[in-house]
Amino acid sequence: MDKVGIVGYNQVKLYSDANYGRYEMIFEAVRGAIDNAGLKKKDITTVISATNDYYDGRTISNCFTVEVGGGYLADESKVEMDGAHAMLYGMMRILSGNHKLAVIWGGSMPSCYPYHSTRLYETDPTWERPNGYVNDITASGFQMRAYMDKYNLQTEDIAKVAVKNRRNAAKNPLALDEAQNPDITTKDVLESEIYSDPVTELMVGQPCDGVAAVLLAPERQALKITDKPVWITGVGYNQETYYIGERELHTSNSMEASAKMAYGMANINDPVNEIDIAELHETCAHEELIFAESLGLAEKGKGPEISSEINGDLPINPSGGALGGNPPCAAGLIRVIEAVKQIRGEAGTYQVNGAKRAIASGQIGMCAQNNIVYVLEGGE
Amino acid sequence: MGRQVAIASAGFSEHASKRSDVSMPELAQEAIEDCLKKVPSVEFDDINAYVNGNMPAFEGSNLPELWMTDWMGARNKPLMRVTTGGTTGGSVAIAGYYTVTAELPGIDTVLAVAFEQQSQGDTSVGLASVAYGEISILNNLGIPYDQLNRLLSAGAAIGVAAYQATTYMNKCRITEEDLARVVVQNRRNAAKTWWAHLKMPNLTIEDVLDTPYVQYPLRYGMVCPASDGCCAMLFTTEEKAKDMCDIPVYVNGVASVANETAVLGYDGGGSAQVDPSVQLGAMKSAELAYGQAGISFPRKEIDYAEVYAPFPNQELMWVEKLGLFEETTAPEMYETGVTARDGELPVNCSGGVNSTNAIGASAMERPATAALQIMGKASNQVPKTVHTAIGSGWGGSLNFITLLAMSDEPRRRFT
Repeated sequence: MDKVGIVGYNQVKLYSDANYGRYEMIFEAVRGAIDNAGLKKKDITTVISATNDYYDGRTISNCFTVEVGGGYLADESKVEMDGAHAMLYGMMRILSGNHKLAVIWGGSMPSCYPYHSTRLYETDPTWERPNGYVNDITASGFQMRAYMDKYNLQTEDIAKVAVKNRRNAAKNPLALDEAQNPDITTKDVLESEIYSDPVTELMVGQPCDGVAAVLLAPERQALKITDKPVWITGVGYNQETYYIGERELHTSNSMEASAKMAYGMANINDPVNEIDIAELHETCAHEELIFAESLGLAEKGKGPEISSEINGDLPINPSGGALGGNPPCAAGLIRVIEAVKQIRGEAGTYQVNGAKRAIASGQIGMCAQNNIVYVLEGGE
Repeated sequence: MGRQVAIASAGFSEHASKRSDVSMPELAQEAIEDCLKKVPSVEFDDINAYVNGNMPAFEGSNLPELWMTDWMGARNKPLMRVTTGGTTGGSVAIAGYYTVTAELPGIDTVLAVAFEQQSQGDTSVGLASVAYGEISILNNLGIPYDQLNRLLSAGAAIGVAAYQATTYMNKCRITEEDLARVVVQNRRNAAKTWWAHLKMPNLTIEDVLDTPYVQYPLRYGMVCPASDGCCAMLFTTEEKAKDMCDIPVYVNGVASVANETAVLGYDGGGSAQVDPSVQLGAMKSAELAYGQAGISFPRKEIDYAEVYAPFPNQELMWVEKLGLFEETTAPEMYETGVTARDGELPVNCSGGVNSTNAIGASAMERPATAALQIMGKASNQVPKTVHTAIGSGWGGSLNFITLLAMSDEPRRRFT
């Protein structure tokens, strides 16, 4: 496979209620990414956006984002998944040879709609939706219980992830203010409001307003645009079956298959030693552990034993992850951006020393039904 | 960079205004079965990845591809969802093409599925929400709600199409009769297409002109129906396609260029585009796709066209904007039979979107039918041999265009 480089990125500050317009936010993200790479609007040949009609509350939600997203008279399309999936489509377009500069952006404004109610429309309309017992939060409850039961884990093991991520988020100026807490303890997490037993409020990534954008270019152009391109050396994506009752919730089949595809492309045989940091899109604390295990970063059931602090052996979500703010359609793309920052040494106070190869993931669906994972590397 | 991509097969579900006999996943399954039936050597295990899309707001299900995973055979396989409004089908087909051409390891054969089951919801309400977004602008400017009616009609498809129709009619100096002629050709063609919705073998221009106006100049008899239906296409590599079918159809050029959004204007009275029949996006798409496919003289080199036209004025417009005829000459071509099934350049022999409109699927049914015409397997097959064909899509607020240029020879130019 030819190399595709990430040559620019930008993310707007996450707010629980951003006091400015959706289109301004998209413009700020995309314009910032183009400025970040030192390019101009006319250099864009293709734009892939990630929005969701239900989240945006209007049919053809990408229809009114053409101009602000840099898509006027550009070859444009929309992936209705996470921004990380949109990046895959952008990458395919670069690999085809048809395009030399792709803008990828994704985001949403849940301050304008009830996020968890909206997700009820993802459930099947014949049985689950009329009953109303499955939504993203209750499904996470099933998932966390299944994971703890399978491997005899305690709620403290899961709460520790929330503590780590919320402390990390305190170092990340772009994270959601409400999620930043340098002094949070396991006790705080366990004693916060129960959302769906055993999931508590502080274990859930709060949906928030945010948009992120990256620029992709083929190898030759990437080297001219920036001194510090980050290469996509592997990508894997996969979807598992729909009905929660038919799935093995204590693991993630789709993440395992994604990892197999991505590691195969990037020639990774021993992920624990070959990967320096991981940015995983966890909508709930336990998902970080399930993903880490499915990605081969730990044996099954040993996720809580990973030394995943910023200064640990294998830092996971040094930026705070999606627990530091979970903007729908952008959270996965932000994980990619955070991994890029680590590789380029631009992560500031949460920089991991010697980060050369990173993985970043995105997801959609109940209990992460569809996952995507990237292997990202620096260097020439 | 990139590799040749071929279409090995395409299939349809039956279309009707209410397919209440099937659920949404079952509807998709019907088209997939029809698609795979034509390539008996292909098993579900041979399909490496999926692309899926529809217009979710019309059925009341968000991300329905999650639900229909097993019905598509997509369990534990890579899947990407693409939706872009009216062009969704075309965008899904183009995404299928890119998934194959990108040469990701292990991904050679991709099934693209586009569908719509409009009877599950209310399409007009869904389309009105395209306009509702502008209410905030109107309120900020102190514009009263009594203009809401105009706003709603302008936001839904027929409102914008009516503006487009009048500007186009003015430019070409044509009458409603010219529009009705296009409708008659389409619905008579639809009568010979097994999966089409509005089949009217004996329709006449007078019949069409006898129906009441929906919005001038578009009459009830001229506008597309709302259908339930699904379309599936199988994309694969050049080598594999040769094993799967007799005549692989190569995708030589693709484009999906976005034009300016047709905002309603601050008085709610019209499109901000000076002339909605200009369509820079369509012209730019044609330039890109023909450039990739090495088509220099579209009128001479293209043998068959399927264009996305829910309204007859659009069919006339697109064939001009996509370079098949000179500007303002299309009505004459329909009058002289150039675009008829046995004409020099047949257009929309499936009956087009004007006869069958399962919105999310419609823009895929265009390239799918065009590909089947090249293979010689189309339902209403044209008598002449088709070597090169195009399939287009239209959507958004007049601003999205998709275009696929296909041929029986692999001629894509690599840059």
